[in-house]
Amino acid sequence: MKIFSQKTRPYLILLATVLVLAVIDRGRGNVLSGATVFSALQYLATLGPVALGLSLTMLVREFDLSVAGVFGLAGCVAVLLGGDSPALGLAAAVLAGAASGFIQGLIITRLQMPSIGVTLGGLLTTIGLAYVLTGNQSLTFDNMDLALFLSARIGLFTPRSIVALALAAAFAMALYWLWIGRDLIAIGSDRRAAHTAGVRVDALMVLVFTTSGALAALSGALLSYSLASASPSGLSEVLVPATAAAILGGVSLSGGTGTPLGVTAGVLMLGVLRAGLNALGAPPFAHDMSMGAVLLAVAILDAPGIRAHFERLQTLTRSRTETQAP
Amino acid sequence: MNSLLSARDLTISFGPVQALRDVGLDLRPGEIQALCGENGAGKSTLIKVLMGIYQPDKGVVEVDGVARRIDNPQHAQQLGFALVAQELSLAPQLSVLDNIWLGDRSVPVFHRRKALREKARRALETLQVDIDLDVKVADLSIGQRQLVEIARMIARDARVLILDEPTATLSDVEIEHLFQVLRKLRAQGHAILYVTHRLGEVFEICDTVTVMRNGAHISTGAVSEVSREQLIETMLGRSFSDMYPQRLPGQGSDGLSVTGLCIDGSFENVSFDAPRGKILCLAGQIGSGAGHVIRAIGGLAPLTSGRMFLDGQPLTSMSRGSTIAFISEDRAREGLFDRSVVENLVAGQWQDHSRLGVISWTSARRRAAELAASVGIDARRLAANAFDLSGGNQQKILFARAAGGKRPGVILMNEPTRGVDIGARSEIYRLMRDLCARGYCLVMMSTDLEEVVGIADIVVPMYRGAVVARYEAEEIDISRILLDITHPRNAGEVVHEAVGH
Repeated sequence: MKIFSQKTRPYLILLATVLVLAVIDRGRGNVLSGATVFSALQYLATLGPVALGLSLTMLVREFDLSVAGVFGLAGCVAVLLGGDSPALGLAAAVLAGAASGFIQGLIITRLQMPSIGVTLGGLLTTIGLAYVLTGNQSLTFDNMDLALFLSARIGLFTPRSIVALALAAAFAMALYWLWIGRDLIAIGSDRRAAHTAGVRVDALMVLVFTTSGALAALSGALLSYSLASASPSGLSEVLVPATAAAILGGVSLSGGTGTPLGVTAGVLMLGVLRAGLNALGAPPFAHDMSMGAVLLAVAILDAPGIRAHFERLQTLTRSRTETQAP
Repeated sequence: MNSLLSARDLTISFGPVQALRDVGLDLRPGEIQALCGENGAGKSTLIKVLMGIYQPDKGVVEVDGVARRIDNPQHAQQLGFALVAQELSLAPQLSVLDNIWLGDRSVPVFHRRKALREKARRALETLQVDIDLDVKVADLSIGQRQLVEIARMIARDARVLILDEPTATLSDVEIEHLFQVLRKLRAQGHAILYVTHRLGEVFEICDTVTVMRNGAHISTGAVSEVSREQLIETMLGRSFSDMYPQRLPGQGSDGLSVTGLCIDGSFENVSFDAPRGKILCLAGQIGSGAGHVIRAIGGLAPLTSGRMFLDGQPLTSMSRGSTIAFISEDRAREGLFDRSVVENLVAGQWQDHSRLGVISWTSARRRAAELAASVGIDARRLAANAFDLSGGNQQKILFARAAGGKRPGVILMNEPTRGVDIGARSEIYRLMRDLCARGYCLVMMSTDLEEVVGIADIVVPMYRGAVVARYEAEEIDISRILLDITHPRNAGEVVHEAVGH
């Protein structure tokens, strides 16, 4: 297997980020520390499931903007209903997220509408619903035991980050071993062809949006539990980083490529970047700027012109080495 | 031998239009049957009925002598019918193996089974196709993809193969390989329904030929008992007067001249003179670079080096726009807009039909009507969406647009009659001659040698990115050109390249 390929790129970017940060740190140990790893994993705990769901919709060449709204709404639902039984609150939140995704998926497939428009509507609706449910108040969650449990450190992990990692692993295995993974790639790479070949395109699309909603809801609910609070406004800043993570993780906006593990690496990369820059004492706006720079660099690497040049360069060097070594 | 598939009295209407009228069809095991007819003859409707996409109003389809109702494409697949459509149904991002089993409901939930792999490998072996199961389809040539599509059908135990214009996008070498595969399948007892516009293929590969016209079955007979002219006359329903119009006398003047054109990895040192009033045709297989040369002259691909002159004046990117028009072989993507015929016809000339920036629809419609009349598009279709027109009429829109400039310039064409039925085709050829008479300079590329020989005044064969020769008038000879574009000295090598990796 080639070392520099589309498949290995997310992991290489992650590695490169760690190395660059470590070099900037010059061996003082601020970056290469348990604290950085822990912090990155916490970032993954929150963002990972959201990015995972979003990347599934990107895999079939759609886009789910509503994840950010569902994320916040689910937190509010969980805190509102989970007072007596946290499990009930969590179930209700996930169900709400799944239902939101299901409805949007149905609209997109049945009415053949572009997902950007539909899920933009979904985003605004879910944000609005959260305000209605909470009466525009910040909610507090009384069950501090649960909050402490969810944030408790188990080595470098917390229960939340373990859930996120387990989800990534489960999805990775499902997409690899089950026919559904091939069908999703087929839908993303050529929808008409997939349909002609006998793939149940519409059903799978609805499933993808339902899953995306459920994953965002799960993550939002768990975060609210662990913070012991929920507010309709505070939790919606996940959309941009989740998209960035998916793209860094090798998910193409033109559909058909990307894996759960790659996306996880993408999220971790962003987490490491944040944690590392914090450790180096960089100001908060440096996070966004560096994230932007990395994204831009990846996008440029993908530009057709650059790639053609690169491939020509490769063949050139290869033929040269071949002629040199008779 | 008994029929594998037998259809009788198939009738279907869409609103007031009767698309099929009492159509019958018999397919026997080990038979390749050609299905011919102009666009609109009902071929695709018939296929869609057989594949369960449409339900007939009347009539029966018998499989192995048993009358069947075909509910949907999946059901048709279970009955052993398989359609290889013009647009392939392969997912480029998946491997060959995954594509072979894509969408097959019988595949278990955990799909990475040895048995499936083995069956796919056997299917490829049956076709004697050397393609790696783990290669991404995106990395295969068009010809290889088509073979994968056929292998998919074989792996799924298809007995009746329906091929819809399978050679439209293939090079000659790939076509030859496809034919070998089809002959093998015939010998194994598969029945093949072969839909084509290309009459040469009917005589080369098919045993029987069925002709349809206006939704009705006209005739079925052994290929050996009909002549080419008879076949065309049956399809057209009228006598076959010369398909290609007379060439114009005279030498032609000035025109386009290119020297030393080169794009790295595509073609090099291409030079020719294309005088006004003449049709110059680059002949070559897919991969010969001929199509790229046309695109490059049109400014659609950056040249590495080379110079171009029109009437002795150097062509620059500034002067090019108004004098050079390009007609793509891919009308849907590179030619037409998803708008009305009027808007398509006057596209790019809006400034002539607006006052202070405000569009004058009266003026635009008048101009569109003139242009439509000049190429023979029915004036009643002007308000229709361009994509609802037949391939021939779509091509006429592009010709009208290309020839709508104030002064005659250069018209570049790639495969000008692809997807155009035989009736409209002769109209297109006549249009091309009219343009010559008006002083246009026509430069085209075609992989259809019969067309090259029939229409061109000057033929420039290309092979592997280089110009091989130049023929004019009496020198134009189909066998000589065929040799040039397939390079007989290394013919074996060419075959290997085109169908191997």
